[in-house]
Amino acid sequence: MRTKKLTACGLLTAVALALSYLENFFPLALAIPIPGIKLGLANIVTVFALYAMGAGPAFLVLAARCLLGAVFAGNMNALLFSLLGGFSAMLVMTALSRLRGLSLYGVSIGGAAAHSCGQIAAALLTLGSTAPMYYLPVLLAVSLFTGSLTGLVSACLFRGLVHVDLWKG
Amino acid sequence: MKRLILYLLYMLLLTACAAPAPAQEETPEVAQLIAMDTLMTFTAYGEDAKAVVQQAAEAMRTAEAMFSRTLPESEVSRLNAQGSGKAGPELQRLLEAASHYWRETGGAFDITVAPVASAWGFTTDSFQVPDAEELESLKELVDGSGVTVDGPAGTVSLKAGQSIDLGGIAKGYASDLAAQMFASASIQRGKAELGGNILAWGVRPDGNPWRVGIVDPARPEAGDAFVGIVELEDSAAITSGGYQRFFEANGQRYHHIIDPAAGWPADSGLTSVTVVARMDGGGERLNGTMCDAYSTALFIMGEEKALDFWRSHQTQTEYEDAFDLVLVTEDGRVIVTEGLSDRFHPIEDSGYEYETAS
Amino acid sequence: MNMKRRPKLRPAAWDGAVVGLVLALAVGCGVLLRGNGGSGEMAVVSINGEEVDRFSLAESAGKREYLANGYVLVVAVSSEGVRVAEAGCPTQDCVHTGVISRSGQSIVCLPGRFILRLAGGTERGNGPDVDAVIG
Repeated sequence: MRTKKLTACGLLTAVALALSYLENFFPLALAIPIPGIKLGLANIVTVFALYAMGAGPAFLVLAARCLLGAVFAGNMNALLFSLLGGFSAMLVMTALSRLRGLSLYGVSIGGAAAHSCGQIAAALLTLGSTAPMYYLPVLLAVSLFTGSLTGLVSACLFRGLVHVDLWKG
Repeated sequence: MKRLILYLLYMLLLTACAAPAPAQEETPEVAQLIAMDTLMTFTAYGEDAKAVVQQAAEAMRTAEAMFSRTLPESEVSRLNAQGSGKAGPELQRLLEAASHYWRETGGAFDITVAPVASAWGFTTDSFQVPDAEELESLKELVDGSGVTVDGPAGTVSLKAGQSIDLGGIAKGYASDLAAQMFASASIQRGKAELGGNILAWGVRPDGNPWRVGIVDPARPEAGDAFVGIVELEDSAAITSGGYQRFFEANGQRYHHIIDPAAGWPADSGLTSVTVVARMDGGGERLNGTMCDAYSTALFIMGEEKALDFWRSHQTQTEYEDAFDLVLVTEDGRVIVTEGLSDRFHPIEDSGYEYETAS
Repeated sequence: MNMKRRPKLRPAAWDGAVVGLVLALAVGCGVLLRGNGGSGEMAVVSINGEEVDRFSLAESAGKREYLANGYVLVVAVSSEGVRVAEAGCPTQDCVHTGVISRSGQSIVCLPGRFILRLAGGTERGNGPDVDAVIG
């Protein structure tokens, strides 16, 4: 059981890293010229881990993803962006997932919005200028779409896995 | 649980709202005035910024009232009229510094060149080429050793017939005054632009050094034509160039930097000289004044003597710290001294050749 | 699949509340930033060191006249920016300065002790990458 969980964490981290990498291909930089800002597709993994394994493991996966991602990118500035973005999303989603009325979509959208706020905060800190603030409204609007996408993907995922017992055997 | 949720929502609120706060800190306070025949702009960031820029502007008016040669009631005007008299501590200090620069530069910087400059019309804007006889007799009066300061008695005096013009150091001194005010008010960043002289205080709000463009002497009216950009942090920089003030007569161009030895506008092969020095001491050491005096003197000396002067002035003395130079020559070269080379950025298509001097 | 928590897989009514909240935050931030951010520069005119006029470039197209120590200066405001169109002073430096449009730029008439300075908006100094000019 413990080994299984650990393996699952490792796999999820790998998937999250792959998603982070995939994000580089979205031309977000065209609309928002701040290096380091990402859509937050890796939040799919956070959503999944949160529901499947709970806040603790989800937290570990997130931390591992941020650290390894920064190491792979060779860019410690990116660490601050992914940490602040990732953990803001994580905190908000943990809170929202406890509200009975919300579906995966609501939780994901809240997470995506928090991800945007966190990254803008990182941009403010690293650039030492308030200029990034001006992109927050755009980024929040974009996060409605990324959040919905994250919600959709994770809903499909859970639907597909509904008959699979992950932790058995 | 509820408390946790509330706490998390609160954290989210903080991430969203913490952001606008620095915006207020970043708005600079600006004071502008016209003094010493030039536009002065003081910019400061931070808590006491507003009071400081206003105080600096006020200090400029006071300084002008003391050092102006055209205001009849100024200390300098009275000294010129009477040949000697009481002087406040600031004028004493400035005259002592001027005597020092006169000695150091072998007379290339000389505040007693005033009668000659007047004969050319540079004080009154009624320009003319003076006749040779008149110049010869006026040159007799040019002698920096004639200025004496008696500290204990609080008096200063000139030799008979002499008069002085502090235009060659007044703006530099103004940047020292500004630095002293910034320092005593603990201003972290700001700048003072004094008719093309600059005090770059601290760093820019984004944490990078201030970027200062040095005007291309061949295209001064373009506004954005530079020979290079220097990155400055806690430094003063001052440029002297013949293009700054001149008149034309009989197809000849005559500029305002008079060589005291010749009585004529200096013709040394240089088109501009920029002197840069650190201002770590908050203006206490009069490095701005030094930059101003040396930019004039080195323009008169020419390339080789200027570089020799730079090489022999790398040590700290009572009046000066180390400084660096950017020389622009008539034949299209820009010479940057070693200490500045990594903070100097050439302009790619400026047409100049760049050299580093060591 | 056994899970820590079983999520709702279909969009629920309350999701709308989250969407609304995010939208409100986006619009709110936008309005706030537009309010405080440089929605156009202000021109500040001073003569003898005293502020005599202050107007927004966006709302003041046309001409304005000032009397500065005996010299008449005509300031023209257009969508491109502001310039001194005519000046009675001998040097005409202010006319030669041309149009200024960026915050932090100034037009000066020394004989008239007249300064027109653009403020507000975001300070961008004297050009794309310089904070000050010497020489």
